[in-house]
Amino acid sequence: MKKKKAIGAVITVFAVLLGLLWLIPLIWLVGTAFSVPSFHMTLFPTTSFTLDNIKYVWNAIPFGTYYINTLILVVCTFAVQFVTSTMAAYALGVMDFKGSALVFAVIFMQIIIPNDVLITPNFMTLSELKMVDTKIGMMLPFYGSALAIFLLRQHFKSIPRALADAARIDGATTWQTIWRVYMPCAKPAYLSFAVISVSYHWNNYLWPLIVTNSPANRTLTVGLAIFAKSKEANMQWANVCAAAFIIIIPLLLAFFVAQKQFMSSFVSAGIKE
Amino acid sequence: MRKKIALVTAASMLASVIALSGCGGNSGGGSASQSPTQAAGGTETKAEGGGGETGSGDAMHLTFYYPVNVGGSAAQLIEALCNDFNAENPDIVVEPVYTGNYDDTVTKLQTAVQGGTPPEVFVSLATQRFTMASTGMAMPLDDLIAADPDGQEYIDDFLPGFMEDSYVDGQIYSIPFQRSTMVMFYNKDAFKEVGLDPEKPPTTWDEVVEYGQKLTNDNRYGVGLALNSGSAQWAFTGFCLQNSENGENLMSEDGKSVMFDTPGNIEALQFWLDLQNKYEIMAPGIVQWTDLPTQFLAGEVAMIYHTTGNMANISQNAEFEFGTCFLPGGKRQAAPTGGGNFYISNGLSEDRVQAAWKFIRFMTEPERAAQWSLDTGYVATRQTCFETDLMKNYYEELPQAKVAYEQIDIAKPELTTYNAAEIWRILNDNIQSAVVGDATPEEALKAAQEQATEVLAEYQ
Repeated sequence: MKKKKAIGAVITVFAVLLGLLWLIPLIWLVGTAFSVPSFHMTLFPTTSFTLDNIKYVWNAIPFGTYYINTLILVVCTFAVQFVTSTMAAYALGVMDFKGSALVFAVIFMQIIIPNDVLITPNFMTLSELKMVDTKIGMMLPFYGSALAIFLLRQHFKSIPRALADAARIDGATTWQTIWRVYMPCAKPAYLSFAVISVSYHWNNYLWPLIVTNSPANRTLTVGLAIFAKSKEANMQWANVCAAAFIIIIPLLLAFFVAQKQFMSSFVSAGIKE
Repeated sequence: MRKKIALVTAASMLASVIALSGCGGNSGGGSASQSPTQAAGGTETKAEGGGGETGSGDAMHLTFYYPVNVGGSAAQLIEALCNDFNAENPDIVVEPVYTGNYDDTVTKLQTAVQGGTPPEVFVSLATQRFTMASTGMAMPLDDLIAADPDGQEYIDDFLPGFMEDSYVDGQIYSIPFQRSTMVMFYNKDAFKEVGLDPEKPPTTWDEVVEYGQKLTNDNRYGVGLALNSGSAQWAFTGFCLQNSENGENLMSEDGKSVMFDTPGNIEALQFWLDLQNKYEIMAPGIVQWTDLPTQFLAGEVAMIYHTTGNMANISQNAEFEFGTCFLPGGKRQAAPTGGGNFYISNGLSEDRVQAAWKFIRFMTEPERAAQWSLDTGYVATRQTCFETDLMKNYYEELPQAKVAYEQIDIAKPELTTYNAAEIWRILNDNIQSAVVGDATPEEALKAAQEQATEVLAEYQ
């Protein structure tokens, strides 16, 4: 018994240390963003507190517009993915139709294609549709998600048929069955995909850069690049950190608030797969 | 049975997907490694009128791609310049589009060309000109220059050191815009501290070693060079120019062959390693380009090789007296130039080409080029820039900045060839393997020569 406790304590200490280690970049980023620029690289700021860095970067690029654009991109993309993936997953996982295994195999294979490879073909399609430099064009290629379909299908499959049958006996339509039986049961899968989708689109850089031209349609990451990619001279870390801080703060807050749910959804999604 | 069919189909799909991703990667994947035919094909399919649709009124819309490499404010400057141009030319509307750094810009450009919507004007590295010409992404400008009443005068006004890398097969493909050169920044206070004359910076490699040894102590290195991939090849061009028999560059003028493994170049690379390992006056391993000025400003290194693009940063932030000087020489003094030029896309209608040319002329007018130099730290590109009061006052205030201009006389273009991105990578990789001790300088440069010759074989 005592031995078990001791092991537990060691694991806790180790976990805390590991946690602190992971926290270092964040501490440095926040410290650098809010202190007078210095040429000595230190973990904790040595110069006085200032809001000038934040002010400078906020005024250097239209962060307000970029924020709204990024939010629209992230929310709309996920909303559409939510609907399309649910329907596809239900069809593939629950309805038994001829060729469903084949369709699933084809969809599944998309997971192995890295998104960057698709930039040129997607751009050419959008160009033909005259959708370059539009928000809808920026989102369109992501409206279907192979990963979401895969996650949900596996989840739907693990839900006992009896539940759905019971609902149907009570007179539920297919829609109602999906809405009241499958979706609530697959909540962890939805949550983990939400995290993946939102963080991916929040952080995506190359695709928005390439498909948009006007500041009215650009996203936060493109704004950050103006500071982070100025390679010809020296890295202005204070500005880079300030811009990065502005960009990560919503996701960071979301993580702190919904931390428990994120964790549990990942764990349960992982176990059930 | 159904499973079997699915499996077979899946396997064949997989194969085609892999094939697809291979070719997609070629065209979408950054740098200059695209297949020429593909890009050229894209240009042909481009509809008349390209990037900007004619919007309100009769004004012609031009799209202008520009990268930013010197920090946030440069983007605002470009926008302001474009607004000025649009105000002055009501029949033309230039729409500036920020396109990341130089690599991102090339990626976006290639994608746009293939999608049939190339920008009319763009800024890309001067070293990209062989790629731009061979893939048909940019057009030669000679006819425009000839048709312009003072065209020849205009071209002759550019500093020859910059104009030199605008040519492909004798034709002009680009116009110098944001150009830089490498100079030495040194800490005068540190010089005084160790008893060196702060007005006599090193002029030879031997002096670099001698001074470096005096300047090195427990808290400070004497010499600083950025050897990271993407920067090493620039400094290396400089050292090789300084040490070659007759001042030959790393490549032939036609961009079709490289001379990496000459005895002079091997000596130059050996000199770098000696600074680190033999004399121990330079930080071991690889220091990043963007960290070097920071270390200089922190007093951790006394003499650095860096771009003039850093002049504003260093003059504003140095808490000590600093000086600049020509790069010290081996057999002679010499330095590399670098930076970006204007290009005009291929396959545009005549009136669009004219408008694009007008825009380039506007952006490179002496006053404007001088102001651009002051605001960004780039070297002004034209001789007449240096006759403006703007430039005269600037040099009076900051004599250190003048060194860069004077040095252009002895400066040569940095490494440029066909498929420049690939050749850069080859040279960088091999330099790095020498720096980390995996190869001797001779082995590294011989390997680089072999690999580069293989890549360039298709252009012979």
